[in-house]
Amino acid sequence: MTPGHDTPLGAVQREGHQPGSGSSGNWLSNPHLLLIVRLVLAVIFIYAAFQKIGKPLAFADEMKTYGILDMGPPLYIMAIVLPWLELICGVALVSGIFLRGSVLVLVVLNVVFITAVSIRTADLIKAESISFFDVYYDCGCGFGATYAWKKLLENTVFLILCVVLLLAPSYRFALGYSRRSE
Amino acid sequence: MRIVNLRFDLWYVAPEDLPRGRIAEAGKRITRPAKSKDCGSWQLLFFSVDYILFSMNRLRNTLLQAMVIVVAAFVVGFAYNSFSVNGINPFKRIADVPIVEDPGNEVTEGIRFVDLEKTLEIIERGAVVIDSRVAEEYDHGHIPGAVLLDYYDMGNYLDEVLPILSPDQEILVYCYSPTCDDAELLARELFTLGFTRILVFKGGYEEWVESGQPVER
Repeated sequence: MTPGHDTPLGAVQREGHQPGSGSSGNWLSNPHLLLIVRLVLAVIFIYAAFQKIGKPLAFADEMKTYGILDMGPPLYIMAIVLPWLELICGVALVSGIFLRGSVLVLVVLNVVFITAVSIRTADLIKAESISFFDVYYDCGCGFGATYAWKKLLENTVFLILCVVLLLAPSYRFALGYSRRSE
Repeated sequence: MRIVNLRFDLWYVAPEDLPRGRIAEAGKRITRPAKSKDCGSWQLLFFSVDYILFSMNRLRNTLLQAMVIVVAAFVVGFAYNSFSVNGINPFKRIADVPIVEDPGNEVTEGIRFVDLEKTLEIIERGAVVIDSRVAEEYDHGHIPGAVLLDYYDMGNYLDEVLPILSPDQEILVYCYSPTCDDAELLARELFTLGFTRILVFKGGYEEWVESGQPVER
């Protein structure tokens, strides 16, 4: 399924499937919008990854505070692998190789993270009897301590951006994706 | 308007007067990709099946890509970890380090938790005191005579600290406060390295300062 391969319809393939005009014809397929979304997400995740890459112990310690995983192999394996997962996905977003797969991985990561933060927030609310908007702690993602509701909001936005990327019919400005190669 | 199917996933709208079988000429006259609403009922069936197969293909490819990425992250992560100064062994973390509960028991190997009084006693006896906090905190003030061994940067400090420790010497470790368990983690780590008499001052620097003990800067 390579573009412009020799068919009688070589010409129309290029015309008929311009991502700009979009077979779905809506803003979801605008290649420039997709590129911007990709770059924004990439910068965020690559930065977060660099904060954590050489420091598995510190990251594991922060993850322990969530109270979901305790000390032990699963926690440490996550502390070793997760920063690299973020880095690889960030690189994939920028370069455009394995784009859809990495976006899927990011969707999963975001969902898990939002769930974890919600659980932790609920625990903190119950334990310290504070209101939802007062919950403040270091989430361990590499950006320092912030309010929990801010974290939840940010990551919901990331999740939406990732879903937008996933739903796009095709990508331009991406290595590994030529017209009609998916 | 007619629907033309060129390949299993390529459906196009072509003008009515395009002769059947003259697909070769279609190139210049096909107007646009077909959508489901362009199809007649029979065509809709095939169109839908093709669409589903195509979507499944895309789903399969996406899942494959995701799997490759996860595997790559594991491989690179563990590789980097083995060469990194701060690398950890995820399978041998909390070894079966015995925690000696009985305060009177001074014989059994293991780690013990001690209070301020016992701590002062132990320091009197000449134990090595290790500060498990970060460099900035250490510089700000530490227990007199304490050596810095940042738990989260252990690789960098072990080279300097290990030579001054000996296996049956008493080692006292402390951290910021009772809520910080870095001291305990460092104690366990030291135990797995072969040091047998490790004491953890649970109260930490906080209790030391609060009780008015002298500090060194």
